[in-house]
Amino acid sequence: MLLDLLPHLVNGLTLGLLFALVALGFMLIVGLMEQINLAHGSLFALGAYFALVIVGGERSLSPWIGDAWYTLPIAVRYAVALVVAPALVAVIGMGVEVLMRRTYGKDPLFGLLLTFGIALVIEEAIRGIWSTRDYVLQTPAGISGGFIFNDLIWSTYRFYAAGFAAVAIGLVWLFIEKTPYGAVIKAGAHDNEMVRALGINLSRLRLFVFAFGTLLAAVAGIILAPIWGIRPHMGVDAVVPAFLVIVLGGIGSFWGAVIASLLCGMLVGLTGAYASEWSLLSIYLLLILVTTVRARGLFGKKSLLEN
Amino acid sequence: MLPSPQASPRLITPAIAIVLLLLATVPFWIERIGLYPYLGVEILIWSIYALGFNLLLGYTGLPSFGHGAYFGIGAYAFGLAQFNIVPNLWVCLLIAIFAAALAGAFVSAFISHRRGIYFALMTIAFGQVFWFISIKWHSITGGEDGLLKIARLPADFGVVQFDLGSSNYALYYFVFAAFAIVLVGLWRLVNSPYGRILQAIRQNETRVTFLGYSVWWFKVSVFTLSAAISGFAGALFAMAQTSAFPDVMSLHHSGYIVMMTLVGGGLVSFWGPVIGVFAFLLTRDLIGALTTAWMFWFGLFFVLIMLFKPEGIAGLVRDLRNGFIARFCTPSPAPVRDPGS
Repeated sequence: MLLDLLPHLVNGLTLGLLFALVALGFMLIVGLMEQINLAHGSLFALGAYFALVIVGGERSLSPWIGDAWYTLPIAVRYAVALVVAPALVAVIGMGVEVLMRRTYGKDPLFGLLLTFGIALVIEEAIRGIWSTRDYVLQTPAGISGGFIFNDLIWSTYRFYAAGFAAVAIGLVWLFIEKTPYGAVIKAGAHDNEMVRALGINLSRLRLFVFAFGTLLAAVAGIILAPIWGIRPHMGVDAVVPAFLVIVLGGIGSFWGAVIASLLCGMLVGLTGAYASEWSLLSIYLLLILVTTVRARGLFGKKSLLEN
Repeated sequence: MLPSPQASPRLITPAIAIVLLLLATVPFWIERIGLYPYLGVEILIWSIYALGFNLLLGYTGLPSFGHGAYFGIGAYAFGLAQFNIVPNLWVCLLIAIFAAALAGAFVSAFISHRRGIYFALMTIAFGQVFWFISIKWHSITGGEDGLLKIARLPADFGVVQFDLGSSNYALYYFVFAAFAIVLVGLWRLVNSPYGRILQAIRQNETRVTFLGYSVWWFKVSVFTLSAAISGFAGALFAMAQTSAFPDVMSLHHSGYIVMMTLVGGGLVSFWGPVIGVFAFLLTRDLIGALTTAWMFWFGLFFVLIMLFKPEGIAGLVRDLRNGFIARFCTPSPAPVRDPGS
């Protein structure tokens, strides 16, 4: 019995880590800046598309990059994509933050609406540039393919992605909790007047946090592209689970969101064993159940967003 | 920000009369200006939907990002009632309204103690649940294809019967009548004591509670009413499209209704949602004729509105009018805005 469920449990665990990876940037921005960035999904998609151009595969994708580049080994191109694509997205993210400044201090709804509009514009731009078709992101041979264990075929890439997610979560946590930068950022979210009084440039800090959050969105997009596929709609498919685990975990709680992600992943994995068609519905039901009992999610604290 | 309730206690204001008269003549000229009668049908249906939606967003200050669900439920309920219960227009419309109201009441009972962004996020979650069900429950909803071959049932008034299926003009006048009823009904509602409490909730929920009103009950009732109106629009949409499909329940479509309402100026004007629907659908048809990326341009326009004029087109018009009055009519001591401001 348990052995039958094992693949579903493993599947659920890896999915949970991937949910957490997708939510990481969103969580950072909402937790530290109390801004809902609905463009998160579109920036996630943009990261995947930029990586697609850099890694290549189809000549028509990128007429502006020389042929010599594509003769390099795939591992090199993939590694470069993993650095350059998120950096480019982070620059766009900074642009979004600059636009969002106009909404600071207003009803948080305006920030949400503005980023919704930006998300739509980015998604339409993607449709215009890369058309509506699906693409596949190539990955180096070392992390693609599969292996057989316990008479089942397991995808190597899935484990690589889950491991990557775990490392990313750990690093972000270390950065927020254990470095002076993290302390300043957290203080800025807590009492921005005091932080300003201490001579810290808060608007630069916010720009940085936003860039970092969108960079994480793009990294998640690249990591998930081989699993979920690259298509214009991938951003919406990603942003919904991301906001879901954050509301479930409680806005402002880092580990709340991570635990909620794992919970959701496991739930999808297990319900997938019995009713695969309906497995995604289970996380919505979990969210509704939890928020009915605990209004602020599992570990949520009071936040500005409630006003 | 919205016009104060006692300013227009009349059931039908000159503005309503002019708009309705103008809309009544649409079938006589719409083809001459290069458009088509079905566009008129669509605009009126979406206007009903947007007016119902703005009852929540503009008047009560409750942002619902999953409102497509109730529109879709109305559409599906209309089709299912027609196939399985009785193919009578009035019965099917009532069932559609009731189904959407029921869903709205259920959802709002869960989320009405929430405020602001949390409220918005929970409406997304519920909207996704309904959307998901519409896609996955093949035996009832027809999955991704939706319900097809929904008939445009005849409007039977006992003594006289209108065939709505034969032409888009007949359907236009039916939808026009529905629009007129919803428009006048909502105008009356927002200027009633009930409507004033809704606006008070938008301004300060806590203070309304202190005055002894049950805010929770008002939120649930207005959400239910808004869902019912959306369901009504959805049923009309199912009839116009002769089908019901899950697309209208998606997060995107739920977002479009928010965009239409805000672009038009739903936050400051009763007419905002209607203006926004006109802007949205005309952009779709006119810009869409030039480029397939019309949504890109509308999205950009929406971003600009959010950045520089969250009061929307209605707010722009109001500012222009005030500016005009301030500039040319200042000698009179009318209570206009200070020209310097």
